[in-house]
Formats: sequence, structure tokens, C-alpha cells
Amino acid sequence: MARVVKTKTEFEGNFFEQYIVIEGDELTPWAADEKLEKVGKCTPRVDGSERVTGDAKYTYDIQLAGMLYGRILRSPYPHARIKSLDTRAAEKLHGVRAVLTHKNIPQIPLRMGQHFLLEPTLRYAGDEVAFIVADDEEIAEDALELIEVDYQELPFVIDPEEASQPSSPQIHLNGNVLNGKPEEYERGDAEKALREADVTIEARFTTQVALHNSLETHGSVCAWEGDSLTVWDSTQHIYGVRAGVAQALGLPLNKVRVIKKYMGGGFGSKNGAGKYTLLAALAAKKVGRPVHMMLTRKEENLAAGNRNNTIQYLRLGAKRDGTLTAIYLRSYAGLGAYSLWGTSPGGPARQLYACPNVKTIQYSVFTNTGPMAAFRAPGYVEGTFSFEQAIDMLAQKLHMDPLELRLKNYIDTNPMSGMPYSTKGLREAYERGAKLIGWRERKSKKITQGTQRRGFGMASQIWGGSGGPPAYALCKLNNDGSATIITGTQDIGTGTKTVLAQIAAEELGFPIERVSVELGDTQDGVYSPLSAGSMTLPSVGPAVRVAAHDAKEQLLSIAAQVLEKPKDQIKLKDGLLHVQGLEKPVELKEVLAMKLQNFMIIGKGARGPNPEKYSVNTFGAQFADVTVDTETGEVLINKIVAVHESGRVINPLTIGSQIEGGVIQGLGFALTEERVLDRHTGLVLNPNLEEYKVPTALDVPEIEHEMIDRADPYANNLGAKGVGEPPIIPTAAAIANAISDAIGVHVTDGPITPDKILKALNKTQIGGNHA
Amino acid sequence: MAKATKTKRASVTVRGPHKMPVHLFVNRQDYELHVEPRRTLLDALRKDLGLTGAKKVCDEGTCGACTVIVDGKPVYSCLTLAIECEEKSIETIEALAQDGKLHALQQAFIEEDAYQCGFCTPGQIMSLKALLDENPNPTLDDVKRAVSGNLCRCGAYPKIFRAGLRAAEILRSKKGA
Amino acid sequence: MRNFEHITPPDLESAVDLLSERGTKSIAGGTDLLPEMKSRLRSPRRLVNLKALEELRYLKHNARKGFQIGALTTLAEIESNELIREKIPILAQAASVAASPQLRNMGTIGGNLCQSVRCWYYRAPEFKCWLKGGDTCYAIEGENKFHAILESSPCCAVHPSDLAPALMALGASVHITGTDEEGTVSLEEFFVRPKASNRQMTILGANELITEVQVPMLDGDSSGIYLKAMDRKVWAFALVSVAVQVSWDKERVKGARIVLGGVAPIPWRVPAAEEIVRDQAITEEIATSASEAALEGAQPLRDNGYKIALAKALVKRALMTLAERAKK
Ligand SMILES: Cc1cc2nc3c(=O)[nH]c(=O)nc-3n(C[C@H](O)[C@H](O)[C@H](O)COP(=O)(O)OP(=O)(O)OC[C@H]3O[C@@H](n4cnc5c(N)ncnc54)[C@H](O)[C@@H]3O)c2cc1C
Ligand code: FES
Ligand code: FES
Repeated sequence: MARVVKTKTEFEGNFFEQYIVIEGDELTPWAADEKLEKVGKCTPRVDGSERVTGDAKYTYDIQLAGMLYGRILRSPYPHARIKSLDTRAAEKLHGVRAVLTHKNIPQIPLRMGQHFLLEPTLRYAGDEVAFIVADDEEIAEDALELIEVDYQELPFVIDPEEASQPSSPQIHLNGNVLNGKPEEYERGDAEKALREADVTIEARFTTQVALHNSLETHGSVCAWEGDSLTVWDSTQHIYGVRAGVAQALGLPLNKVRVIKKYMGGGFGSKNGAGKYTLLAALAAKKVGRPVHMMLTRKEENLAAGNRNNTIQYLRLGAKRDGTLTAIYLRSYAGLGAYSLWGTSPGGPARQLYACPNVKTIQYSVFTNTGPMAAFRAPGYVEGTFSFEQAIDMLAQKLHMDPLELRLKNYIDTNPMSGMPYSTKGLREAYERGAKLIGWRERKSKKITQGTQRRGFGMASQIWGGSGGPPAYALCKLNNDGSATIITGTQDIGTGTKTVLAQIAAEELGFPIERVSVELGDTQDGVYSPLSAGSMTLPSVGPAVRVAAHDAKEQLLSIAAQVLEKPKDQIKLKDGLLHVQGLEKPVELKEVLAMKLQNFMIIGKGARGPNPEKYSVNTFGAQFADVTVDTETGEVLINKIVAVHESGRVINPLTIGSQIEGGVIQGLGFALTEERVLDRHTGLVLNPNLEEYKVPTALDVPEIEHEMIDRADPYANNLGAKGVGEPPIIPTAAAIANAISDAIGVHVTDGPITPDKILKALNKTQIGGNHA
Repeated sequence: MAKATKTKRASVTVRGPHKMPVHLFVNRQDYELHVEPRRTLLDALRKDLGLTGAKKVCDEGTCGACTVIVDGKPVYSCLTLAIECEEKSIETIEALAQDGKLHALQQAFIEEDAYQCGFCTPGQIMSLKALLDENPNPTLDDVKRAVSGNLCRCGAYPKIFRAGLRAAEILRSKKGA
Repeated sequence: MRNFEHITPPDLESAVDLLSERGTKSIAGGTDLLPEMKSRLRSPRRLVNLKALEELRYLKHNARKGFQIGALTTLAEIESNELIREKIPILAQAASVAASPQLRNMGTIGGNLCQSVRCWYYRAPEFKCWLKGGDTCYAIEGENKFHAILESSPCCAVHPSDLAPALMALGASVHITGTDEEGTVSLEEFFVRPKASNRQMTILGANELITEVQVPMLDGDSSGIYLKAMDRKVWAFALVSVAVQVSWDKERVKGARIVLGGVAPIPWRVPAAEEIVRDQAITEEIATSASEAALEGAQPLRDNGYKIALAKALVKRALMTLAERAKK
């Protein structure tokens, strides 16, 4: 029977209370010492062979009979109005099948009416002007050149702090500051505490705009059959895309089918339907043929989202013994032209340490630049970069070891809610990490002379990662003793399919080869939330376990009746029925197919509510060992150590991949990645992979990682929490702290490129000798 | 400067700009395509031959996802014109597994979890295939260099390195056996 | 990219003839040209495929003439050639740190010397910059972290080639064949600062081709080094690079050629620095003053002042490294 319950869910630093519908009985969590056979074991991807043979079909790879290709004309100005637009020449070009502009499509409001699908006002360089579909991409591109647009340029603003001033050009009717005012949080009296502190530090930090650069760009392939639309979409949220498309086009949900089997990266940026989706759907309808609309790399980097830049003013106060007494943060984040939400760079400042007086003031500000999107731990990466550097600055001033200072202010309850953490393995993470990097012996390894200076740094991580309802699953048991798990989640590359197979196989007592997992299809699946915010596994995994359990119970009852044995004398193991009193286990097939022929068991499961009295979070610590060339400003990372606690580890193999991947993206953010805007024209100068520099194979140092593997007794029936975002959060801060340890000065503006290091050194003794 | 000495005029071959037949030899098969001169090898493989293993990520030589092997060397198929590949031997990821049996590299990638989203994987594997074809005993450094022209945004690099070394080991043990 | 006619010339002669017609471009590896065509910076009507000219793909060496390298030789071939690695390792080093393995399998030495600049204003179709025939160099007042610190007007883009500084340090020349003329010029003559009447970084006419790169025999005891600073470990153009080739008389410098990359619109030879080390045994002091001299007159733009310190450091480091080796 379905039940309605209330639950609290955290997503990317924000808390929501909601009512949810759940099904099936909640199971007791697996105990910490539960003997599990599949869960917790290194399990290679169940879809590995598709990935290595080229068979895996990504959205980009979808090819349908009669398919056309779409291309988008984009604004060359950061703020402009279309005065007039002439598409006749483009329409006449051989092979062009349709041209859509704001003049010939319905006005479809997006983001609750913040803007429209196509409209005459353009708010950033890259904003959509027109859409062309043609027989091939080259023809569509030829046609783009033939559209004539007369633009009226408008004044624009690209710096968020400047944009927050009322005198700046206004991007939306109700001002540039999201919701008209900053988001404020206060506990205690931070200003007073700062005045009274023994020691204070104060610094200004900036973080750059980072681009996701998922290797598969955003895009969709749309095809109509009568009044039903099928959308293949490179997305982290098939049901989100379905909702977005259905609403925009006025279709019932059951007429929109969204499919995403494989996706070439998303990192938070692919959480809903895009303009490309809607344009492709409209054009496909108009022309009566399927339309393939994948962004080019340049478009991806102009229009598909980014990690917003921040400017952060931080002040900390402490007692002489290191007790933190005050944290004060004022931050500005540039949303770009469109967004309904802002990130939370103040998250780490509010939560990481026991501090009675905290104030954070977060401005989220519209600018005439490409819109931001969630990017792996939005807010927290930027916030940790500054806050954990500030902690090191404070340690320096107090002449304390940075690790000791952090331990001094350790807290076992959530300082915002006062609730205890369900588990908090940060202390152990500090211990293990310190050991692995050689923290306590680092003085002897430091190099403080010559041109190759070596230093060590660390940083801590906090994030949500509880996941939550609603999420559903079905478990179909076939009459040959194989099982199919039906979900509506998506495997965005993290190995979801594999861990769900492990969970189901564990609960069923089946070999993993007998379990297949279906996901990525709204029509065949059952609702699951988006795969972002480290929530896929802890949301969907528990539902899968419930569904598998339900199916198993049904199976055992049936077996009991067929075998004429009491149910409690029958056990399922390795896909065989072990019956008390029988010498040999019985093949399922024998019981099922032989006796019952065509029948199917359907188990149902839903994710239950989150615990009411505990705060469910993930924790970790990272340590960096770097060498800085003081003459060239180049940084060599010798080693990164990452130790994290995310509850029970379901698959050590894939969790290791997540950790390494997070660290590598974190080091790109720390050292090389930055979107560059031309300050005079507002255009992006490096919307490509040549000058937007993501780490290459040779930029990757040794990464040693460990999990504090501990079943969370309260989080959910698996005891597992998410791990998608945690590993990227502390990396940049740990590297920045190590660089400062090496060269004696903090570089407070990211990314820490050679020019900034040379500049910083110029102000010190070390640089002075060379400049 | 001295004047170039004129020799007899031989005939030039002009093709295009419209679609014309182009012959490609891909994965040990002959194909005839009808494409314009501007068709890249990548688009020809993906759109004309339906071989979508090689991916288009940047289309300008900055990612490596489109890597295929032409005459034994890994190249970016996005910066190669199909028309200039006639009479060359082209190998793509689709040819690696034979008779349903995975290549050692593919096996090693699965064992080591040397991917996350998998979008860069075909390119990574082709770069490593070219390496192992030439050098059965690569060092870690050789492996790293071999994939230094293949970006992985998910950051699977450490495991890609391990898979490269592991595959070499598998191949050697097969030879030995 | 816009469509084009694709032409396979039977020989060099006809290739240069074909290039005389407007709207015709030569394509070698295509690694530079095709991206330019895809972003529609250039839309030639006809492409002449140089790869058909097998006669331009060779690498010869003899004791009298030194190295003769056909223009179609790939960077990978140069990087891995045993004779080059032994006799002029500076060139192998420069080739090995250029681009990526796949690009080195494709890109040719001729194309590398003729490649367009990477300046982001030049590469963005939205800007009609001076080099593309407009009136403004947007970088001078704009985002110029990667731009020139010397000779930065009228265009402050830097020449992107890694091979060019190394070849210039080796005293290399290129053989050019045109419809009416052919001849050999040194790289110092080949690379020219762009000017209003010639908005490119070489003297090459539209219907001229490089057919060969020549590296003369080096003095008996000679050694060289190529250092490249990047903001990523590989697959990046140089922030600054330096090529130094020194001929030795025991531990004393007989003569040196020092060339900087990434600092000027063309590979930048620094005679003043060469003068300082001539006839000297290299000490830290001499290396330092040579590095000072090398950057004499540098005038940074808003964001690229760091290049001065960086270039000095590389010059000094290159000289010191060579001196160390000479002692052994
Ligand atoms: C992502 C990327 C990174 C790179 N990184 C580096 C780097 O770090 N260092 C570096 O040095 N280079 C780098 N390059 C440049 C690369 O090395 C060159 O693209 C390559 O060497 C050019 O050779 P090609 O044969 O492909 O030239 P093409 O693209 O075929 O030609 C380039 C230009 O030269 C002309 N041309 C070609 N051959 C001749 C000839 N024989 N005579 C006259 N004109 C000719 C063409 O008409 C064209 O205008 C990089 C390129 C890319 C795409
Ligand atoms: S698609 Fe060819 S290198 Fe990126
Ligand atoms: S696995 Fe995703 S890009 Fe490499």
C-alpha cells in the first residue's frame, strides 16, 4: 500500500522538506558486521564490454532514418536586442529544412518566465537567436552564415560585484541580485566576536569560472510518432527532461518519452531540458522528421553552464589557543544571465567547525555572461578553496599546525541544526591521510632553499550526500531464475548500473550475472530523482533493495508451496534454493519454469524517508605534496592523498574511480582551468579545449586514496551515502595550502597559474632575487 | 633567387566540390562512400559507415576522442579528410574484438575500471593499441605518453595507465603461452 | 567548413602553379588549416594536397651539408629519428614537446613553420583583428597574458611554433619554391614582423611552398637545449620557450645562438645575450647577465609581465645546464 510521509532532503547544500509517497516495507539497514557477499566487493562494470567496444550508444550516436541536423545561431553580443532578422537566404539554401526564430514559434517561457525559448532580447554572448535544421551539419552551418540580423547593442556588465550595484545595467526586470537580496545566515554575533578575538585574519579570495567540458556535449535527438515525442537526451535526469518538455510543449507526461542509456559526462550541468531539446522537438514536428541537435564544443562552453565565479571576503577570529570564535563571509557569485537558484559558497564556513559566531552573506548576481549550472559540489568547491586557506592563514598566525587547528575545532554535531551526525569519519580521515602523506614528518621533507621548493597542505570536506525519496524500483523475476531490476535512474558514468546489480544480487541471493538492471528510460522505468548531488546511490539503491526483498519473499512463498515445505526452511543462495532436509540445492528453474510455466514475480520498492534526528553528511580530508619552481612558476604535484567517509562502500572499484576523478578535476580547477572573458566585449575567448586547459594524462600525480568504510546506521537501509561530489571539494584548497607552504605566500585567486605564482613571489624574498 | 626549372606538365586530379565516390578500407573491409571533399574521416566513419565508436568532442584536434589508427599510426580523424584516406588502412575500435572475444586492452579496461562515462575510452584504447602494436614492453612512462593526446574529463587516467600496462602483460602471456 | 575542390597535384611544379590562383590553399597535415576552415576563419575554394608529393617526404644527412629535411616530414618522424636525436637533439626535443602524439603523427615541419598564430582574438571569428585585415589588435588592450613582450605592435600575437626557435638556434634555412623563383633563405629572413602590407609572420607568397628545411653541419663540439614553459604539462603552446645551441672550445663558448619563443610575433633571436657568453666559460654570473641582456627592451602588456622573469629564468637555466654538461 502506498503511504504518504514527510521527509527532509538536502540537495547541494540546500534543505527541502517535502511529502513523499512510499511503497513497500522499510528494511532494517544491513548491520556494520553483516556478512555480505556482493556488496563491498570490487565489481567490474556490468556494462563494461559496451563501453570498450564502441557499442555503447550515447545520445550523440543516435542515428534515425531521415534524421536531420540542427544548428543554433547565437548572439555575438553580451546584451542586445534583435532589431530585425532576415532568414530568407538561409531558407533557400539547398538542404535547409526549417529555420526557427522568435517570430515563427510560440512564446515558451523558461525558468518560471525569467526568459523565453527564443526572444528578441539577448542577455549574453551565446544566447540563442535562431535554429536551423538541414540535411547535414555542414549545410546547417553554411545556412547560419546566411541569416542576417540587425542587433541593437545594449550596455552590459560581467563582474558580479559590479553587477550587484543598482547603477549597473539591469539584466532582468527585478534587478540583478537574485531574489532582490543576499542570502544571510547568522548564529551568535560574528561581528562582536571578531572585535573580541585574540587573533584575526582577513582575506579576499576569488575563484574563476570553470567549464564542465563534459566530453559529450549537451544535446537531444527528437522524433515524433503521431502526438508522442521521443527524446534521446544527454541528461542526468530523464524525468526532469520529461517534465520540462511536457510543460513547455503542453503535452501530457505519458506522451513524452525520454531515453538516456549512456552519457559522456555531465558533472551537474545536465539536469533538465535545454533550449536545444525544445528547439529540436519543435523543428522535428514542423518538418516531420527526427532532428539531431548536439551542441558544438564552442556552444557547450558558451551556453551549457559553468561553475560560477566568486569573490569572497572572509574574516576569522580565534582565541590564542586556536578556538575559532568568529567566521564572517561576504560573497558574490556570478550567475550569468539566467538562473533560479544560487550556490552556497558559505556552506563550508557554516558547517566545517565548531564556531559559535558565524555570519555568511551570499549575493547571487546576474551578469551578461553564460548561465551557471551546478558543477560537482557547486558552492562548496569555491567555498572550501577560500575557507580552508583562511584556516591555514589563521594557523600560521597562531603558530599552530594546520591539522591541530582543525582538530581543535572538531565537532560531532551539525553546528547549524545541533543534530548529531549519523556518522562522521572525519577524524579518522585526518589520521589516515596524515599518515599516508607523512604529515608529521613533513618538516624534514620540505625544501626551503633553491628554485625547487617543496611544501605540504591539507583541507577538509563536508557535503550532504544523503539522497532521499522519492525513488522507486521494480524487481521482475523471470521463470528461468533471472532477475531484471527496473528503475528510472541513470548511469552517468559513475557505475550506477553495477552497484544496483550488486545490491539486488545481494538481497536476492542471486549471482550477479543473473541480474540485469534497466535504467534511463522514462516510459519503461519508474520514477527516480536526478543523478546529481551525490544522491543516486543513496536514493535509488535502497529502493532497489526493497524491491528485491519483496520479490524474494514472494519467490520463497511460492517455492514453499510448490515444494510443500515451510517457507522458513528455504533459503536462496547463489541463485539456488537451499531447502532444509534436501541434500542438494534445487535449481530455481526446476521449481518455477517446470511447475508454473509462464509466470512472473514483481517486487516493488521505494526509498523511505530520511532520519529525522540525525544529520546525514559526507566527510573527507585531502593532503597535497607539491614542488613549486620559483623561477618559472610551474607547480609539480608530487602526490595527493584523499581519505573520505561516505558510509558503507558498495563497490571499492568504482568508488576509487570516483575519488580519483574528483581529485583530478579538483586539480584542474586549482591550477589550469579558467574561462577567460574579454573585458571590453564580454565575449568568451577560450570556449575550446585548447585554451581552456583540463588536466592531461601527464598532469596527474600519484593519488593515494582510502575510504573510511563504515556502515551508516541511520542514513538508509544500505548504510551508504553518496560520493560523487566529495572528492572534488577539498583538492584545490589542499593544493593552494601546499603551494603557500612551499613559497611562503598564499595565492588567493584561482586558478593558481605560473603568472600568479611569479607575481606573488615577486613580493617576497624568494622572488625578489630573480626579478 | 633562381627561377625554378619547368618540367613537363603532368595532369592534376580535381575532385569535388560536390559529392563524389570515395573508397575507404576500414577494419579490413572495402567501402565506397559518396561524400563531399569536406567530409572528415570522423564524420565518414560515424555518419556514412555507422561506426560511432570514435567520438566527436572538439572537432579540432584538442581532445583525442576521435583517435583511430591509420596505417599503423594513431591520428585524429576529425582533422583528417576522408578523401585523403583512400588506399590507407583504417582501424577503429569496432575492429578490436574478434569473434566476440575482447582484445586484451578491452579486457584490461574492464578489469581496472579504466573509464567512467566511457566517452573517451575508444580513443584511449586506440592510442594504446598503436603503442602496444609497436612496443610490447612499455614502461609506465610510455603508456602515459601514448595517451597524452587523449583527454579524459572524468579523470580515469590512473586506471587507464594501469590498464595499458595490464594489457601488455596479458598480450605477453598469451604470446608466451 | 565551407566546401572546396580537392586537388591532387602530380608534382611540385603543378602544385605551385595551382596555388597562384586566388582562393587556393595548400594542405599538408591539415592540423592547423582544417581548424581554421572549420571555424570559417578561412574558406579556400580549392585545396592542393601536398601529401601527394612523396618527393617532399625525406630526411637526409651528410657530413658536408648537414640535415636536409623534406617539408612533409612529420614531427613524429623528426622526434624519433636517430640521427637527429644524436646530432641535433635540440630539434628532437622541440618536436617532442609540441602538440600531442597524434598531432605529431599528422603535422609536418613545413606546416609547423607556416602555422597561424594561436592568439585568441585571431582565432575567434567574432573579432576582425588587425592580423585578419582589421584595424585593431584587440589583445593590446584586452586579455594579453599569452602575448608578446617584445615588438608587440601592430600585432602582439606570438609565433606558436616550437620547432622554429630550435631550428633558428641551429642556423637552419628553408628552401622555397614558387612559380617564378626558388631559393634558400635563413629562418631569420623567413620570419618577419607583420606589417600592413604583409599581415603574416613569414615572407612566403601565396604561391610559394617550403620544400625543404636545411640544418647546416655544426661545429665539432656543439650542444643544444630546448626548454619550454607551459601552464599544463603537455599539449599546450609555450608560455615562453628558449632554444640555445652552443659550440664549445673545451669549457669555453666559441659561439652561441639563443632564440626565444613565445615572446614576440616571430621567433626571437637575442644577439646581445649571445655576445655576452661568447669566449666565456659560463658561470652563474654570466648566465644571469646573458638572461638580462636577452630581455633588454621587453615591454610587457598588462597581463604578461611574468614572461620577463620566466624568459630570463629559462635562458639562464638553459645556459647553466649546457655548461654543466660541457664539464662532463
Ligand atoms: C591542439 C594543437 C596543439 C598544438 N600544439 C603545438 C605546440 O605545442 N607546438 C607547436 O610547435 N605546434 C603545435 N601545434 C601545431 C602543429 O604542430 C601544427 O598544426 C602542425 O605542425 C602543422 O602542420 P600541418 O602539416 O598539419 O599543417 P597544415 O595544417 O597542413 O598547414 C598549416 C599552414 O601551412 C601551410 N603549409 C603547409 N605546408 C606548407 C609548405 N610545405 N609550404 C608552405 N606552406 C605550407 C598551409 O597552407 C597552412 O596555411 C598544435 C596544433 C594543434 C591543433
Ligand atoms: S574530436 Fe578529434 S581531437 Fe577532439
Ligand atoms: S571516462 Fe569520461 S571522459 Fe574519460
